[in-house]
Amino acid sequence: MTAVISASHLSKWYGNVLGLNDISLELEEGITGLLGPNGAGKSTFMKLVTGQMKPAIGTVAIRGRRVWNDPEIFQGIGFCPEQDVFYEDMTGSEFLAGLLRFYGFPKKEIDDRAARALDVVDLTADKDRLIRGYSRGMRQRIKFAQAIAHDPGILILDEPLSGLDPLGKRKLIKLIKGFKDEGRTVIVSSHVLPEIEALTSQIVLIHQGQILAQGDIPYIRELIEAHPHQISVRSSDPRALAARFVGDRSIQKMTFAADGQTLVVETHKRDEFFGRLTGIVLEGGIEVDEISSPDDNLQAVFEYLVGK
Amino acid sequence: MTVAKAVRQVFGFFAFLGRKAGKVRVFAVLGLMPVALAVVVRIVLHGRSGPMAAVFTEILMVFFLQFYIVILALFYGTSITAEEVENRTLSYLITRPLPKAAIVLGKFAAYVLLMFGMVVVSLALSYFIMNAARLSDPELYLTFLRYLGVLGLGIVAYTAFFTLLGTFLKRAIIVGLVFGFGWENVIQYFPGSTQKFSIVHYLKSLLPYHPASISGGRGVALLLFRLEPTKPLAAVLMLAAVSAALLALACWLFRTKEYLYED
Repeated sequence: MTAVISASHLSKWYGNVLGLNDISLELEEGITGLLGPNGAGKSTFMKLVTGQMKPAIGTVAIRGRRVWNDPEIFQGIGFCPEQDVFYEDMTGSEFLAGLLRFYGFPKKEIDDRAARALDVVDLTADKDRLIRGYSRGMRQRIKFAQAIAHDPGILILDEPLSGLDPLGKRKLIKLIKGFKDEGRTVIVSSHVLPEIEALTSQIVLIHQGQILAQGDIPYIRELIEAHPHQISVRSSDPRALAARFVGDRSIQKMTFAADGQTLVVETHKRDEFFGRLTGIVLEGGIEVDEISSPDDNLQAVFEYLVGK
Repeated sequence: MTVAKAVRQVFGFFAFLGRKAGKVRVFAVLGLMPVALAVVVRIVLHGRSGPMAAVFTEILMVFFLQFYIVILALFYGTSITAEEVENRTLSYLITRPLPKAAIVLGKFAAYVLLMFGMVVVSLALSYFIMNAARLSDPELYLTFLRYLGVLGLGIVAYTAFFTLLGTFLKRAIIVGLVFGFGWENVIQYFPGSTQKFSIVHYLKSLLPYHPASISGGRGVALLLFRLEPTKPLAAVLMLAAVSAALLALACWLFRTKEYLYED
């Protein structure tokens, strides 16, 4: 399959701070998720792909054309920025119609496209309200609408799900998946693994300006599973609980927290551990008050991968 | 999309947006100052239409030429690129199929038109209030058009300069203030060819000369003093050439420069 977006030895500095470090990758049609903690370099990559920044070293191209200072390329690209910024004195409808002018559409088509995009994001009823009066979720939706209104073949979405309520997220995820079904290419960034997981199986893990891993969900999951998880279990009798786990092959290490009520377990086989714990609780005799997994988050996974 | 078409689209967008912005109201109110002054002068000089032309030239030079169009151009010109970067809305413009020069030129044209509109209203009201007794005199209208033309050229030249400042300086407004109210106000009074390094020199060269007003208005005599005016055609050509060169440089800078938001 031909690469839609390709980057070759791409690096970017902000003064002395490294934003991206020697990234080479090829993104194909479909949805690709850029996953990484805040400050990992996702937005920098997206700004380079959308021609808002010039690479310090290397190249970035869309369908073989270098992006920087090639405005024609944007006829087929829709970009949803991360920042919550707008021309606040405009209404939702004016904002969309105003930006659609830049594609050279005739007046009638501009109105039709704006109306269609507003309908897609459920803002038709609020189209004549000033954007400054929109809620966070509405602002996120109008931002998405401006990215799709001109019917682009490539959608680049920087944290599009942030600020949306669960229902809004679900709708947008369905919408983005719909774009994939229409044969378009979508690049979407997030620092939340489940969000990306809900959208695509193709993931690029970015951390500290570098690509840590690239592949499908099972491969990334494998990497994550290989990471020893710490799980804290607060119980009325942590020592009795620990005794039940002695000899369990899923456990690597057990310690007691300073409060005397918490058992801290380290395991490579998280699912196996939780299965066994559920069994113990159901058998009775030991009450579990709270289970938490302090390092069961993306940051911990990244730290593990970086340290690997 | 051709550059000309792209300029038209950007012009339309910002002409619409510019009208809705709050600063239009602030500057429009500022434009009422000479109108109020005209009413006062009309009452004071009631029945004496003779010195009106000279007095209006003073208002024109002091308020319009050396204050109003400079402050308008400073705020609108520097904001052409700076407000997009500060408000982080630049992403919406440069991810469209628009040549970068078209963004600068289209927004420049929209803002120039907006400023010119405010100046026309202010100038027309103050001028015709002061000259209400001569409304049947055709020369009155010719002079008005001449004033309007000079102010129009001034708006274009100053806005071009401040647009250039805004494309490469982060705090362009400070430098712009020093230029507009420092450099311009000092250099124009230097003898010889030094005064020709100011925009206002060429603008004043295009205005009617009223020596009587200089001797009469002691307080503003220095501001009205004009050493060696450039010939009108040369002044117009110089203003046009300077504006075009400044704009071309601004477009080139905007195309090559990378704008980073302050995170």
